[in-house]
Amino acid sequence: MTPTAPTAGAVTGGAGTAGGEGGLPEAATRRLSGGAWSSGLSVTDFASCLDMGMRPLGFVQGYAVMQWSWYMATGGFAGMRGGLGGGGAFGAGWGTAQRRRGQYVEQWQCPHGFVGAEHRMYGMNYELTWLEQSWATGWGLAVGRMVDEAASLGATGIVGVIDDMRPLAGVNTVEFRASGTAVAVDDAPAPAAPFTTYLSGQRLAKLFEAGFAPVSVVATLSAVQMLGYCITNYQLAGTAQVGWYGAGGGGGVGTIDQVNRAQAAARRLARERVRAQLGGDVLHGATLESSEREIGEGDLSVQCLLKGSRVRQFKDFDPLPHPAPVVRLT
Amino acid sequence: MTDREPQTDGRGAPAEAPAEEVAAGRLPAGLPPDANRRLAELEDRPGHKGMFTSDLSVNEFLLIKEVGFHPLGFVMGSSIYHLGIQTRRWSQSQELSKLTEAMYEARQLAMDRMDAEATELGADGVVGVRLDVNYYEWGSDTAEFIAVGTAVKSEDGRSYRNQQGKPFTSDLSGQDFWVLMQTGHVPLGLVMGTCVYHIAHRGVGQTLRNAGRNVELPNFTQALYEARELAMTRMQDEANALGATGIVGVRLEEKSHMWGDHTIEFLSLGTAVADTTVGHTIPQPQTIISLDG
Amino acid sequence: MSVRDEVRQAMGALSGGSAPGGRGATSDLSIDETLLLHSVGWEPVDMVFGVSWWSIPWGVWQWTTGEVQAASAAFAGAVDQAAGLLRGECQKVGGTGVLGVEVSVRVSSHHVAIELAGTAVKRTGRPHEGFEFISDLSARDFVLLTRAGWWPLGLAAGASFVVAPRRTVGQWASQQGQNTELPNLTEALYLAREGAMERMQRAGASMKADGIVAVKLREGRASSNIRVMQFVAIGTGVHLRAGEHQVIAPTMVVPLDERVRQFDVTSLRGSGGR
Repeated sequence: MTPTAPTAGAVTGGAGTAGGEGGLPEAATRRLSGGAWSSGLSVTDFASCLDMGMRPLGFVQGYAVMQWSWYMATGGFAGMRGGLGGGGAFGAGWGTAQRRRGQYVEQWQCPHGFVGAEHRMYGMNYELTWLEQSWATGWGLAVGRMVDEAASLGATGIVGVIDDMRPLAGVNTVEFRASGTAVAVDDAPAPAAPFTTYLSGQRLAKLFEAGFAPVSVVATLSAVQMLGYCITNYQLAGTAQVGWYGAGGGGGVGTIDQVNRAQAAARRLARERVRAQLGGDVLHGATLESSEREIGEGDLSVQCLLKGSRVRQFKDFDPLPHPAPVVRLT
Repeated sequence: MTDREPQTDGRGAPAEAPAEEVAAGRLPAGLPPDANRRLAELEDRPGHKGMFTSDLSVNEFLLIKEVGFHPLGFVMGSSIYHLGIQTRRWSQSQELSKLTEAMYEARQLAMDRMDAEATELGADGVVGVRLDVNYYEWGSDTAEFIAVGTAVKSEDGRSYRNQQGKPFTSDLSGQDFWVLMQTGHVPLGLVMGTCVYHIAHRGVGQTLRNAGRNVELPNFTQALYEARELAMTRMQDEANALGATGIVGVRLEEKSHMWGDHTIEFLSLGTAVADTTVGHTIPQPQTIISLDG
Repeated sequence: MSVRDEVRQAMGALSGGSAPGGRGATSDLSIDETLLLHSVGWEPVDMVFGVSWWSIPWGVWQWTTGEVQAASAAFAGAVDQAAGLLRGECQKVGGTGVLGVEVSVRVSSHHVAIELAGTAVKRTGRPHEGFEFISDLSARDFVLLTRAGWWPLGLAAGASFVVAPRRTVGQWASQQGQNTELPNLTEALYLAREGAMERMQRAGASMKADGIVAVKLREGRASSNIRVMQFVAIGTGVHLRAGEHQVIAPTMVVPLDERVRQFDVTSLRGSGGR
């Protein structure tokens, strides 16, 4: 299952919706309709834009406000936590959990036999597909609306895209934001949809010179939940004993296998999801941000945000001169 | 640009204020006497060799000289403004137009005063303009709006003032100014648009209905979208009034100032430019692959 | 061919062609780095990761004075395992080495977390050559280093954690109001730094390195105990492959673009400005 960006729908409802052209807010239609163009580019990036024969058309933006929670009460594998504590109850909860196709799931079982009600006999790593999906929805809506604005200007592409997600006033509300500068390349065939790229300025010029055409910005969030079993719990609390795991050193120093598997899975999933959106093109200038949230004692949620510019090679590399080393006198 | 601390010339104030200059109408009466005295110090006039002050770095200074401009002096303007209260409806998203006007007016006052200082120096423009808002503990609902920059004058005698006869203003650094001139564009003015918006609080029922689901909240998307577009449209209107062909370096700033989470000011800023490239060929940049940094 | 023509050609490719299909490369390199690598016959293959958490027994920070051996052992184990995972991913995608590895080290009370992320690279047009190196050097550094005849081998890292000794009441009293060296504290921190560097050197020696370049020495507080200091030393082990060092003479430039990093002002006017 690959969370793909949904096509951006029109923003409907709410105050002042005039349902402007292309489903954009009324104010956007008004702003984009005339007068001076605007550009979010710095002057240097603007200068190299002109050098590339790109005409700035306007600053374009897209937003999506979402109700948001990092935790979910129902669905997926959630709701199992209760069952994990007591040894006996767990089997039933686990058996009824619905596993989605392609979803990452891995289980651990305690080697100790029954110890007590507090003892965690089972551990599990699983992918939070619902969280990945809703992230893709929010990001896709914001980027899609930005592209709509550009399309309404007749743009060839959007350069210098900036996107983020931030909490908004009030609890459990976040806003996905995307903005960039729409440009037109005159006397050139236009792509079916405007291209988008995080790059701008001289970096973008160099990309073209190197033989790559920007296709689109690509981003994905992967999320893996780790519900620790007894040994993982002991290890994270520093109370694991030697001999409970294979290759530990002396005095309870050892690798925390379940965490490492969750971390590796989150990164692998992010890379696979992004690759699924590349269609054989190249992902350039990628960045990976990872974070963990402790969702309870011995339980973690691992998230990886991977984004970059999808680019297509349209010609072979030109032979380059050998670079000359320079020393800057600064 | 490293630090933009106001610089002084290190000499004390002159013993007497050039009152005759004010009387002769050469100094704008709108500026405080201290400003007039400082600016008079900077000017060349018979019997007095002027000097310039500037917060430009050496690199910026050299680049500005390279495109044929000379820095005249550090100029500023400020305005302390009392921001009134506007009632907001708890559950409705709306623009707070009185606050919008106040925020706009206060910045405009500061910029006008900076303009007046620059005009007094006979400047063609002001580069490196910074707009700041300060809050002081002694003044509730009071904010100080400040505009500072370096006044510059063209050395070839050609006027670069905009069509309103005022010096152009821009938040461009020396480097940016240099590059912009290379592309055959001239700056016309720092343009801005603002919109203070109140975001509705969500009812308990609303929150519960969506509990445990991550879904879009279209009303909120719509409201914030609208607010930003309004700020940008207003900025664009300013640019059109200056006869600009475009705006470079557009920024969208979002601040809650002292109003709490649910009231946000959206401020968009940029430098309006005019294209003078008729017959101008842009020098082709050379691609370099750097091996450092 | 001017960049304008190239942009038009690119747009033509976008509007006409379809995605090439197959397995696309992913990389976190900048375009400068990609071009540089290409100019010396290398290309990026894929982004690769290695993460390892190792547990530290409860109580070591409280009950130990001087060096905390368990913590440095956990650090060493985690670095080895993370590098092993990185190497495994690199081999799996057919890379020859991993460049620009970002190293993140986090030490909390009960575990050490090491995260490595880099881009696997290989020689252009060659079949799978087998694994050669992991390095935290950038593509730029890699190009310079290899042109000078040197070759990266792997990450060399060492850490040491020390609980600063408390002063006895007698010492405290005698030192009150004086400006004087605290020899036992000096010694403890000195030894810890030496310990971290020595472990790094040993790691370098075990990969048969001729030297370790670009060593980053990080120090700071570790764990929640304010008396615990950590010292981490990480660099790239290098080996002189060419027999002897090839001298590269640099040219000097005076840049005027201190603020503008992504665009060289001098380049607008051709090389070196006017």
